[in-house]
Amino acid sequence: MKKNNLFKFICLTPVIVYAILLILLPLVYILFLSFCESDSYGGIIYHFTLSNYFTIFDITYVKIFLKSSLIALSSTFLCILISYPFSIFLRDKSEKTRNLMIKLVMVPFLTNSLIRTYGWIVLLRKTGIINSALINLNIIDHPLNLMYNNLGIVIGMTYTLLPFMILPVSSAVFKIDQSLIEAARDLGAGPISIFRKIIVPETISGVFNGSLMVFIPAIGYFFIADILGGGKAMIIGNLIKNQFLTARNWPLGSAISIFLIIVTFGLVQIYKKLGGKLDDLGGM
Amino acid sequence: MKKVIVLMIVIFLLSGCSSGSSYKGVVNVLNWTSYIPDNVIKDFEDEYNIKVNYGTYSSNEELLAKISSSKEGTYDVIFPSDYMVELLISKGLLQKIDKNKLSNSVNVDRTFLNQTYDMSNDYSLPFLSTIVVMAVNRNHLKDNISSYNDLLNEKYKNNIVLIDDQRIIIGMALLAKGYDMNDTNIYHLDEAKEWLLDLKDNVKAYDSDSPKTFFITEEADIGIMWHAEAEIAKEENPNIEIIYPSEGHAISTDNYTIVKGAKNINNAYLFINYLMRKEVALKITEEYPYISPLKITQKSKVSVDHVFSKGFYVKNIGLDIKNYDKLWADIK
Repeated sequence: MKKNNLFKFICLTPVIVYAILLILLPLVYILFLSFCESDSYGGIIYHFTLSNYFTIFDITYVKIFLKSSLIALSSTFLCILISYPFSIFLRDKSEKTRNLMIKLVMVPFLTNSLIRTYGWIVLLRKTGIINSALINLNIIDHPLNLMYNNLGIVIGMTYTLLPFMILPVSSAVFKIDQSLIEAARDLGAGPISIFRKIIVPETISGVFNGSLMVFIPAIGYFFIADILGGGKAMIIGNLIKNQFLTARNWPLGSAISIFLIIVTFGLVQIYKKLGGKLDDLGGM
Repeated sequence: MKKVIVLMIVIFLLSGCSSGSSYKGVVNVLNWTSYIPDNVIKDFEDEYNIKVNYGTYSSNEELLAKISSSKEGTYDVIFPSDYMVELLISKGLLQKIDKNKLSNSVNVDRTFLNQTYDMSNDYSLPFLSTIVVMAVNRNHLKDNISSYNDLLNEKYKNNIVLIDDQRIIIGMALLAKGYDMNDTNIYHLDEAKEWLLDLKDNVKAYDSDSPKTFFITEEADIGIMWHAEAEIAKEENPNIEIIYPSEGHAISTDNYTIVKGAKNINNAYLFINYLMRKEVALKITEEYPYISPLKITQKSKVSVDHVFSKGFYVKNIGLDIKNYDKLWADIK
């Protein structure tokens, strides 16, 4: 018994040290910074103030929060829209096919996400593959504006974050008891009511779990907004980045980061209230 | 078998050591990415038998963070831009330069000296300069474009690429409105904001990394970008015309400076003096068409008089930067 504890201790120490040094300490530092003032040269004045938190509620920044949330919500919604048919289609397939398809979803994500995002430029730009194909097929006369706007950002976010939705949704869909669906069919339910009355209620926690994992990064991934949005739309991620680089206002950047963490906690609380298990968020 | 592997590892390690120790000294350099061709560094190492430890950064703010967070003596030579030189001096992070140790400083054109950020060049000497210009693809646009205000034309909807730099772009709007590029008056900034909102529909993208790509792929026909970038685009596509806006332009000069507490001062002077040779400057500007402050035949076509007669440096504006940052968030 004692030996077992020692073993546990040895195994856990690196993780605990890692978490304290690289996650907890920086977070505490950011929390501390968010109550400081900044001087004109980007330095920090150690003088307590709440002004950074008031600044967040300036109309300029509120608009950015709303725009970011809208982009993140659209991406989340699109991810759900893609994940359901995919999972339902795979449900009837053999274990082997399922595993293969899920692996195929994961494989591209072993490549750096920045490179994959650049890859989208080749597809989406004015003279890109999609526009050229559509023009050559005489479907459109003028190239569509697929990127350098909010549409480009939503496409990029949806693509990058899709696996985080597919994994929980498909695992929830696979778990549904086949007899439930058969019973519904016997009682005369069509595909739509089966989806509405059985599949949705049975998988809602998976969807919420996926939504959290898509929505939260989607408000912060500034490189996608920069590359596919052409730097025109500022999302919260860009706003924070700017405070740390160009504006040299670390305290405000910290305050926005802390605010984002609070919002995230709020969403997790809602998830718990709706009956979600915290284990599901980490244990995929 | 085991012995062979151990032996091989030992040989491998030793060979690594020996190649590192044949130099008689080092100089620790921190410079912008894509700024000095590799062979220029290599030639210096061979000539002086001094190893150059070359690190890079991609913004002045990143440089500031690296210098202020690392131990004194980590770096010897750095290349901050104008406003960052001023800031580093005020923070006491630089040491004075002894020009007697730089015999090649006679090659520097006096026009580039005694600038506002370091009035008597006590701490810095200019390395390379560039200015902001307009680039226009003449294949698609024949119109007469000479002023920033010409960009507001509704015809150019979704057709302009701008560098993603708030000081330069807000500065451009201020110049278009007839104000100083570093104006901090909030009413003038409001006018600049209106101007940029008028321009918004015409903007295809903000891109600092490679605005020239938009020209090469014909994604945009007008660009506000650094001069060197426009020259490179022009090499790819000869139909690009480079236009110097009538209201003036932003200048940026990167400078040689020596960090306070530098450990290899003599090597640092040798390195700077080497880069100030005319033939070395020619090699550098051949590859990267920036404007050299040395009295050489410039590859870049812009005249030095023009650079300064209508050029403005980005200046440190203290806490007013917060108003700029908010304006930037408003127009995006």
